[in-house]
Amino acid sequence: MTEIKWEKDFHKAVELAGKTNKPIFQDFWFDG
Amino acid sequence: MNTGPYSDEKVQKYIAAEFIPVKSQCVWDKRTELMKQFDIAWTPTLMVHDVTGKEHHRVVGFVPTDDFLAHLKLGKAKMSFNRFRFADAVENFSTVIEQHPDAGAVPEAVFYLGVTTYWKSHDPKGLRRAYDTLAARFPQSEWARRALPYKQIPL
Repeated sequence: MTEIKWEKDFHKAVELAGKTNKPIFQDFWFDG
Repeated sequence: MNTGPYSDEKVQKYIAAEFIPVKSQCVWDKRTELMKQFDIAWTPTLMVHDVTGKEHHRVVGFVPTDDFLAHLKLGKAKMSFNRFRFADAVENFSTVIEQHPDAGAVPEAVFYLGVTTYWKSHDPKGLRRAYDTLAARFPQSEWARRALPYKQIPL
């Protein structure tokens, strides 16, 4: 099984995307 | 944290291989800066951004696994299209259509595949073929109506 390693910081995700040349998938969620 | 479509191994593998995944929690009584930045008013809201953080596709509401994968691929295809990377866009729109034929994202992918084919070749027949496909397979779709002007293009 491949665990999804979620970033919690969008700005860090953009930084990682720039380094890896991968696009970003963002999930806005609500715990309620 | 990996529930719903995220519990599916195909989804896990695809996201891990193709994207930088980020989860952003919503707080309704005190909206976060990201909620304000992206005008988030309901959850789930799923978005595909390019490497600079610019949005190219969003889906609001729950989507089951096959629709979910189709939307991820449609997002990548629209990102290529918006950046005039038409060879990549043709491949990615075709992938949505071929790998997820029953997904809700397919009519949009068919429309954009027609437009992308036109941009790539400057041959308007691609637009007419998109209309023909939409009229035959998805006649009730808004995308079939958007493609209606292309009905006049001769094959």
